[in-house]
Amino acid sequence: MPQRIVVLLSLILLASLASAANLEERVVEHRLANGLTLLLMERHQAPVVAVNLTYRVGGVYEHNGITGVAHLYEHMAFKGTRTIGVTDAEKEKPVLEELDRLAEAIMAEKIKGPAADQTRLAALRKRFTEVEAQAQQFVVSAELATLYQRNGGVGLNATTGKDVTRYFLSFPSNRLPLWAAVESDRMANGVLREFYKEKKVVLEERRQRTDNSPSGRLHEAFAAAAFLAHPYGQPVIGWPSDLEALSRTETAAFFQTYYGPVNAVLAVVGDIKPKEVIALVENTFGKIPARPPAPPVLTTEPPYAGERRVEVEFPAESQLLIGYHKPSASHPDDDVFDVLESLLSEGRTSRLYKRLVQEKQLAASIEAFSDYPGAQYPNLFVISATPRAPHTIAEVEQTVYEELDRLKREPVSPHELQKILNQVDAAQVRALRSNSGMASRLAYFQAISGDWRETFKRRDRIAKVTPDDIRRVAAQYFTKNNRVVATLVKPEDGAGKDKP
Amino acid sequence: MTQERLTLRLIVLLVCATLLAACTTLPPATGDPRAMKFDPVTFTIPEVERIVLENGIIVYLLPDPELPLVTASAMIRTGAVYEPPEKVGLAALTGTVMRTGGTARMTGDQIDEELEFLAANVGVGIGSESGTASLDILKKDLGRGLAIFADMLRTPSFEPAKVELAKRQALEAIRRRPDSPAGIAGREFRKLLYGADHPLGRESTIATVSRITREDLVAFHRQYFTPSGLILGVTGDFEKPAMLDALRKVFGDWKPQPVTLPAIPPVTASPASGSNRSVNILSRDLTQTYLRVGHLSVKEDDPDFFALALLEDILGGNSFTSRLFRDVRIRQGLAYSVGSRLVPGNLGPGAFLLYALTKGSSTHQALASMLDHMERLRQEPVTDDELQFAKDAFLNSFVFSFADAGLIVGRLMALEYYGLPRDFLQRFRDSVVKLTKEDLLRVARKHLHPDRVVILAVGKDDDFEQPLSTFGQVRHLTLKPGG
Repeated sequence: MPQRIVVLLSLILLASLASAANLEERVVEHRLANGLTLLLMERHQAPVVAVNLTYRVGGVYEHNGITGVAHLYEHMAFKGTRTIGVTDAEKEKPVLEELDRLAEAIMAEKIKGPAADQTRLAALRKRFTEVEAQAQQFVVSAELATLYQRNGGVGLNATTGKDVTRYFLSFPSNRLPLWAAVESDRMANGVLREFYKEKKVVLEERRQRTDNSPSGRLHEAFAAAAFLAHPYGQPVIGWPSDLEALSRTETAAFFQTYYGPVNAVLAVVGDIKPKEVIALVENTFGKIPARPPAPPVLTTEPPYAGERRVEVEFPAESQLLIGYHKPSASHPDDDVFDVLESLLSEGRTSRLYKRLVQEKQLAASIEAFSDYPGAQYPNLFVISATPRAPHTIAEVEQTVYEELDRLKREPVSPHELQKILNQVDAAQVRALRSNSGMASRLAYFQAISGDWRETFKRRDRIAKVTPDDIRRVAAQYFTKNNRVVATLVKPEDGAGKDKP
Repeated sequence: MTQERLTLRLIVLLVCATLLAACTTLPPATGDPRAMKFDPVTFTIPEVERIVLENGIIVYLLPDPELPLVTASAMIRTGAVYEPPEKVGLAALTGTVMRTGGTARMTGDQIDEELEFLAANVGVGIGSESGTASLDILKKDLGRGLAIFADMLRTPSFEPAKVELAKRQALEAIRRRPDSPAGIAGREFRKLLYGADHPLGRESTIATVSRITREDLVAFHRQYFTPSGLILGVTGDFEKPAMLDALRKVFGDWKPQPVTLPAIPPVTASPASGSNRSVNILSRDLTQTYLRVGHLSVKEDDPDFFALALLEDILGGNSFTSRLFRDVRIRQGLAYSVGSRLVPGNLGPGAFLLYALTKGSSTHQALASMLDHMERLRQEPVTDDELQFAKDAFLNSFVFSFADAGLIVGRLMALEYYGLPRDFLQRFRDSVVKLTKEDLLRVARKHLHPDRVVILAVGKDDDFEQPLSTFGQVRHLTLKPGG
């Protein structure tokens, strides 16, 4: 009997999966009373499921003084809750609070600079170490990850960007109840333990990603030069001094503001029955009280005219970033930039690759990307290149401008546009290959635009982009006075050279 | 017609009646997640057909009609280990220009234009121990895709301009190597482990790449690309007989030729049994030290391999929960990246590695912790909890090794290429179930040697809080230009 049912199921599956066009019909959307959006897609290839919990929070919601808090919180979210990762949360609480008071006293003394009382500082630090050890007594190390991994969870991780923070993993589908219990607990009852140690970990992450990385340094300076007012100019990882000063209270307040259910999108893709998952999520996440919607970023970048250039000295081979200010993902011109991104740098037949890498051989690599460093707010269209010796940044830069100017004069051929559309269509089909890829895609578009269907609508808008649209957008945005340029060059005095 | 049909054993894990995932009703999500109990994960592994074509090409087929796509992948018996020492970089360049330099029927530019218009992805590459190629294409374009893919493998034309471009790009990549400290640490550690002149340790230089000519690429291709060295795997939306016909059409008349693979010399560079640690510092102006610790280890066919792999999970392999992660990262806050790896030896010996990135002023502390953890595995058994957790994590996530057709077929190809049994993963699973703490202790004592590890620290040694000489005699390395 079971065999026959299976055969029928397979046939239905074949028919329904034959084309990507009906992909849209396979997504089930459900809104909880507390505002959480749930997106579900059945895919029974294997008895596994991928989940992606995306919050509309990231570096863009920070201001000077608390840069890095969104990312630091993401790390803290792995430390557990009032019941996970701790032996006795009630007893732990006053110890953590004493630790906060000590940390604040240390900060208050330290900022006095040369006038700081060193004896008092030393005593505070000694006490801090003692209390930190006391707090450690309550910790069940990495219990949250242990629960997931013990149950076959793989790919457990999280990322923080400018616009969104995302928590994800995959696991055998019969473990959904465990995941729902842990993840809803994490949304409602997170406890910031091992906070001061985790700051050290994040500072190591900053050293790795930014301080010792030529491109990390260049990108940080580039974004800071591009945005005078808007928080897109601040690094997601945070300025080291802000990270050092960040308090647990500020971090908890940030969580309260931005981690409400209404600010979250949960995508579940894989071997599921949507009705069951809806019931499970209602029964767990649904019990979390609603919170007010998080405030949007009000600061807008004022219009300005004039090219901005920034030079970063670093003992490494040269690199170049060119950016043009452009509107956010919700503006109609954004689709034209998506087309421009492909036209300029997707594949070996793209314009910049062909001209700079293949023909003139000025560059070792070149890439164009839209929506930098985020998509939610007005952002940049960026061209990133590494010159090939003995060619210079200036030669590469000049040739990029020639290619961009060509876009303003000559209409793009229908063949080039068709190629881009073919690639978008194929990408839609390929996206379905992976549960985690699909979960990520659905949750991202829902979080950014409020509609997961954007992943399909975008395709139709790209299909409508005309050669005239491209000419108009190139002429309007690719201008010198709308431009920001960052270059990485070797220090002139030989500073930073390594000793023999 | 000599067609060998070998149907792989249908492997049923636990009990499962369906080819589809088991859609059982979910238990309620109430109470303590630690106390929740679940049924074992059940699944069946689909049957994969293995066919040997008349000319010796081995073909694995696994249809998967979910999406209108077809993926073909190839493994070719070759590798950078076989290139001449004065022309290191030749194998990689050959792979690159097979993809870009045209075929007997089309120029490289024509191929790029057609494939990109069809939104097809095609790649060719030659790594250290194997050559690989892949085609990923919409089903409707399969005929064109397969024809181009086969031509690339059989009749690459190595257009001189594309050879020159690839060479210039390779030289620029060498020039840019010092910009990545992680890259430096990786290459220098390999040199220390295998020997700077050994095929598994050496690296290309400006000199070796400059010496390579188009004729070298032509000869390297001719020497290794032959049907008897080729394993193909195809997954996606197709019928088996039609796919076999299609493969025969493009590969069937390819005449086999004998291939002689040069022998890989034994590795003699690493500290031998009874000798001391090798402590090496490469001084760079960095705010973080790139630490690597390790030694050569057993190959996958060693009877202790599975136990060593589980031990490695406990030490540093399991992200978030390993001993190194909990201690060096969570407890001490010394690193963002810390862990271990057991590198399976394929043609040469394997390696057991530990790594951490930490600020200059905690280099000694982090290194001491890493060595302590290695030593502790030899001194005392892991706890019952640790062992049970490592087993549960391995067994409950086992299904992910079979989560899609590409993974299943790709693994069968690799196992065949490296001469390992087809049911290697099932044996792995069966062994893990039986492992005891005593097994792990015995294996740790036999295969972990913290007393004679190779240590590499790439960083600013002026900042180290203590000299690394406490770990052994320190040797200072220098980075060669383009090294």
